[in-house]
Amino acid sequence: MREFQALPAQPAPVDTVGPIGWMKTNLFSTPINAVVSISIFAFLVYVLPDTIDWLFFSANWVGSTQDVCSAEGAGDGACWVFVSAWMQQFIYGSYPDPELWRVNAALVALGLVIAAPYLLPKHFRNTVGVPLFLLFPFIGAAFLDGRIFGLEYVSTDFWGGFSLNIFLAAASIIIAFPLSFLWALGRRSDMPFVRSVCVILIEFFRGVPVLALFFMGSVMLPLFFPEGVTIDKLLRVWIVLILFMSGYMAEVFRGGFQAIPQGQYEAADSLGLSYWQKTLLIIFPQVIKVSMPNILATFVMLFKNTTFLLIIGIFEILNTTQTALTNSNWLEGHAAEGYIFVGLVFWCCCFGMSMISSNIEKKLDTSHRS
Amino acid sequence: MSVEQQGQPLSAEDDVIIIKELNKWYGSFHVLKDINLNVKRGEKIVICGPSGSGKSTMIRCINRLEEFQRGSLIVNGVEMIEDVKNIEAIRREVGMVFQHFNLFPHLTILENLTLGPIWVQKKPKEEAEATAMKYLERVKIPDQANKFPGQLSGGQQQRVAIARSLCMSPQIMLFDEPTSALDPEMIKEVLDVMVELADEGMTMLCVTHEMGFAKKVADRVIFMDGGEIVEQNTPHEFFDNPETDRLQLFLSQILEH
Repeated sequence: MREFQALPAQPAPVDTVGPIGWMKTNLFSTPINAVVSISIFAFLVYVLPDTIDWLFFSANWVGSTQDVCSAEGAGDGACWVFVSAWMQQFIYGSYPDPELWRVNAALVALGLVIAAPYLLPKHFRNTVGVPLFLLFPFIGAAFLDGRIFGLEYVSTDFWGGFSLNIFLAAASIIIAFPLSFLWALGRRSDMPFVRSVCVILIEFFRGVPVLALFFMGSVMLPLFFPEGVTIDKLLRVWIVLILFMSGYMAEVFRGGFQAIPQGQYEAADSLGLSYWQKTLLIIFPQVIKVSMPNILATFVMLFKNTTFLLIIGIFEILNTTQTALTNSNWLEGHAAEGYIFVGLVFWCCCFGMSMISSNIEKKLDTSHRS
Repeated sequence: MSVEQQGQPLSAEDDVIIIKELNKWYGSFHVLKDINLNVKRGEKIVICGPSGSGKSTMIRCINRLEEFQRGSLIVNGVEMIEDVKNIEAIRREVGMVFQHFNLFPHLTILENLTLGPIWVQKKPKEEAEATAMKYLERVKIPDQANKFPGQLSGGQQQRVAIARSLCMSPQIMLFDEPTSALDPEMIKEVLDVMVELADEGMTMLCVTHEMGFAKKVADRVIFMDGGEIVEQNTPHEFFDNPETDRLQLFLSQILEH
């Protein structure tokens, strides 16, 4: 009998593996690709050194006034002193100094509420985690306001900066989450009245531009209130954000619902589960799983949309930046620094959220875990 | 008819399912035509027929996954009417196994089994889990309890689905083509479980084309075509002396290979 001898493995051709192979397949696979790669490389070589120099090496980092940047011998790069000098306003707005700990505490609490699913043992998640999550916006708002807790009263006129962007976005999505799920459920309902109400709500808040909604909330709505009744501007904005977000999320959930096979409903029915048991125990977790990437995309959109609030005079981070730019002590044109800073802050947060969402997706993926 | 009468059969003969002149339409399409069927407690019925003959639709009417427009249906003494309480009462007594298993993919096998007992029958978790493990042992996969459905083979998933229904201690089990989505070598393990269940005296209605299973366990085999019951008989008579030419043709087609 002939004995089988396996052929020895030979190394792959040099130009298909390693850095050379990578460059060949990714940068120079066709003549057009090669031309594009070389021109991009040339452009970067032309632009990057100056940019990096402006951003870092010739930048002014230390100091507290504009004079540091314009003084003789100062670097001709970016004036980061502008950002550091205004940092407190960028983050906290005009929230009074002695009460800043409240904003910090609220930020930490928000972080804890978000991390709760990871921190809490499984059987506390639904009984403790979820109610805390849903109550957070109200407790947080009352805490920043201070009156109920016997703390010093800080009017919403003083709230501002990036913390306000975060709080508004978080408080909106937390309420919009269950609300939009109800709207999406209503849209699938057999009851014509419920269905039409939900369709109208969803289509209205999805169809009207968010800026128009903000104007409606801030300018138009008060006209309908009876005399003497005033509702805080920030509260109105919050409600607008919730409704706007709900419209979008309801459609995201609708896509999720459509991905659930009919058999899941039938299996739940055949066990004798009631409508709400079926919806909450069987359908909801699966819809969330399917919709997670889109929910996050919607949330990132809403988070960035909070900067639109500058147009109706809410002092969120972008409005604060613009105010700082027109301050008489800082009139030498630091717009680039300011906007780069705002962009960077938003980018970091949105990137962080992508990481969290992909983590959640993995956590929810039970399909082929071994 | 009210829920309180549940468990008190209306018929002296102990008929656990009484279907009278049941008619169903999908839009204007007449799917079920004058179905009359009485099922005794402990009876095993196999239903076969060409696709589109209404056999799945009929058994899905029994636990109200499908509604019907005319006729009456009494399950375990409870008449099926347009009432959520009533429908839920019937569903608690009727277990169902589907062609595509329909396990809940986001829950572990054990959670799939305990969901109904905990939420519908309000049993304590420990008791529900003990019952679940008992049934998992009966379908011979207790070692899979903490896995997710996606990690199991088709045959295992279908056995879990059977166990899930049994955990609700149903009076009646409905099987809707339980083996037709399975690979050939997995069909036997599922049929074995079903045979065992039949031997224990469960009332079973089973839509299937497993004729070996029909011969082995069925008390009665029903042939449906075009939305009506064409013929029903004991397995022996059914296969050896079909009365109608339609059944003869059907049998010749499915037994040819």
